[in-house]
Amino acid sequence: MSISEKTSLAQEPALVVDDVVKRFGRGTEIVTAVDHVSFTVRQGEFVSVIGPSGCGKSTLFNIIGGLLSDYEGAVKIGEERISAPHPAVGMVFQEESTFPWRTVIDNVAFPLELQGVAKSERMDRAHHFIDMVGLASFEKAFPSQLSGGMKQRVSIARILVSQPKILLMDEPFAALDEQTRLLLGDKITQIQQELNQTTLLITHNLTEAVQLSDRIVVMTYRPGQVKRIVDINLPRPRTSDVVGSDAFGHYVAEIWNDLREEASRGMADSESAASRRATHG
Amino acid sequence: MAAAGSLTSSSIPATPRNVLALRLAVAVFVLCVWEGLSRSGLFYGEVVPSLLAIFVSMGKLLIDPIFWRNLQVTMVETVASLAIGAGFGITVGIVLGANRFLMRAFEPVVYYLSPTPRIILFPVMIMWFGVGPGSKIALGALSAFFAIALSTAAGMRQIDPILIRVGRSFRANIWQMAFKIYLPAMRVPILNGIRLGMGTAIITVLLGETKLSNQGLGYMIMQIYTRFDMPGLYALLILVFVIAGGVNALIGHFACD
Amino acid sequence: MAEAFLRRHTPELFGLATLLVCVLGFEALIRGGVVNRYIIPPPSDILLAFERVIVEENILARCRDTAFEMLVAGGASVLVGVPIGVLLYRSALWRRAMEDWIGALAAAPIVLAFPLFLVLFGRSPKTIIVMGFVHGLAPIILKTVEGLASTRPVLINVGRSLKMTQSQMFWKILLPSAMPIIFTGIRLSWTFVLITIVGIEYLINLGGVGQLINELAERYDLPGTYAGICFVILVSVLFFLALERVESWLQPGR
Repeated sequence: MSISEKTSLAQEPALVVDDVVKRFGRGTEIVTAVDHVSFTVRQGEFVSVIGPSGCGKSTLFNIIGGLLSDYEGAVKIGEERISAPHPAVGMVFQEESTFPWRTVIDNVAFPLELQGVAKSERMDRAHHFIDMVGLASFEKAFPSQLSGGMKQRVSIARILVSQPKILLMDEPFAALDEQTRLLLGDKITQIQQELNQTTLLITHNLTEAVQLSDRIVVMTYRPGQVKRIVDINLPRPRTSDVVGSDAFGHYVAEIWNDLREEASRGMADSESAASRRATHG
Repeated sequence: MAAAGSLTSSSIPATPRNVLALRLAVAVFVLCVWEGLSRSGLFYGEVVPSLLAIFVSMGKLLIDPIFWRNLQVTMVETVASLAIGAGFGITVGIVLGANRFLMRAFEPVVYYLSPTPRIILFPVMIMWFGVGPGSKIALGALSAFFAIALSTAAGMRQIDPILIRVGRSFRANIWQMAFKIYLPAMRVPILNGIRLGMGTAIITVLLGETKLSNQGLGYMIMQIYTRFDMPGLYALLILVFVIAGGVNALIGHFACD
Repeated sequence: MAEAFLRRHTPELFGLATLLVCVLGFEALIRGGVVNRYIIPPPSDILLAFERVIVEENILARCRDTAFEMLVAGGASVLVGVPIGVLLYRSALWRRAMEDWIGALAAAPIVLAFPLFLVLFGRSPKTIIVMGFVHGLAPIILKTVEGLASTRPVLINVGRSLKMTQSQMFWKILLPSAMPIIFTGIRLSWTFVLITIVGIEYLINLGGVGQLINELAERYDLPGTYAGICFVILVSVLFFLALERVESWLQPGR
């Protein structure tokens, strides 16, 4: 692929989030979870949405994934407004989501099974992606025999096998420890570069977002609005070594500056809610 | 995340009012079908007696001193069997729960014997304790024992270890540990065991009475059956179900709060 | 090898040894005349009676009769209970309204209604089978609902994100996810079925092993009665063990 081709593709947005609003509740109890949020994700780009708890990240994830159909504004792939799970979007959930009754390879082959792909082919294709996430020697294992990080890799392989145009991940590493998270980040970067995979990551982890992303969308605490969009101009191909670089530190400091204010608002809110509960209950 | 992760679909929402309405509708429907069957004459004799006849029989039972005397006999037998079964059950449960070696040695015996049909031990109980209340009490106690012992042992093992460490850190002695830490922490599983034990004790005592005795509600059931007094049989069974269910709910109430 | 086995299973072996000592102790007490042998026959007599119970009393054929009744009653409980559970799961309203009632039904001493069933179905295996069925039904319904409802929401979201149809969702996600809990229901149910069927056989003196024990006891054949009881308990324990095995085999990797 020549440079000019790549830039022309890059102009075409893979995903457009256009003025999305989502409110919950009714009457006086209305909470605006997502408030006029707009951004785009270009082909092959890795974008992270970062914000404190309660900034509507998960709501946004459910809207883009098509699990929440009742919202204002538009999330578009091409010309199509998303209102149900879209075949072009592959989702990785925050919670552990492997099927405990299937082996690793059967888990990964699951989407192909739904499409009616012949058994030998689906095993081949599943094998390819299991290899890619580095679990080749665990194909016959059941999820209960794997660690948390390995299970998330199974979920990622399971979605990659269906070759989604856009990979949508909701804090996939939230339950993992920091070291595992860095190493898995390496794996994700490597796979993303290898497949030129358009990816949207929802996270509250600052270093993870900077380590992986081309751009970061910083959200405000309730109501969730876009505070700022930061371009991350760290070199590619990238590994977790980048965490030690000065540029990395600058980005982290810069984004933390934005986030700190939002996070402290969130904390104050939950503390006053707790004290209300304590005095009334 | 209201929309995500739910597959149940229903046109009518499950509000408490709708639930109540549906329950009433089902109850009325069942009663109507019953009355309809009873009047249709499809069944011979009084196999499906009319609701009114059952109701009248129930009223007669409730003012019949024989019913109350038999109820008292059954109650005394059940309470005695529960007391014996709970005494042994809690003791054995605590021993098995406290000692890993004894647990591995004897818990399988208790565990695998618990789901066997115990009523077949009734002939043995008759030989040991005679045809009177003794054999029923023994069989009831045996039934209650298993549920209570297993529940107590499990409850003992499920105590959060941190509570025991807290107790130790305050240098509590063995009695303080037992009464301040273990017993309060095990109240719910023990009460649950007693509830289960009570349930099986009532059933076993009553079944024993139907097989061989000259008093008690079980005996009364068989008497009414031999007289082929169907409304009376339904009435008595309903009363027994209500009493058993009431006792069960009462202990369950103590176990919950 | 043998030593390692001994060391690893010391508690279990200790338990077995204790049982053995108890049996031998009874033997000694009875032979010594401390315990009346017309109340408890010596264990050796009971052991000898086993052969008689198997050969003369044909207990194996009795077991077959009981097993047949159980198969029909237990099979019917599954065939009826699982679909009812699925239907209840599909409607939140019906589930809310009926779950407590079914729970109460499971706890109610229905077995006491056997005279009623005798009137309805006659003194025939039909009565025994229907009673077994009624006792086996509730746990399967309740556990089916519980199993389906406890499917983790994220797995359902995986299915939705893959645009699965309702029937794919049921067969590939809900049912396999609920399977272990449903089978727990089946194990509970079949245990109830066994207890009920043997109990009713004994109480109404009809059918398989339950009736045999009743007959032996009425003949005052003490060693025979004890041997029959031991045999039935042994068979129930084996049945229960087998159910547990199947249950753990049905849950690979859990």
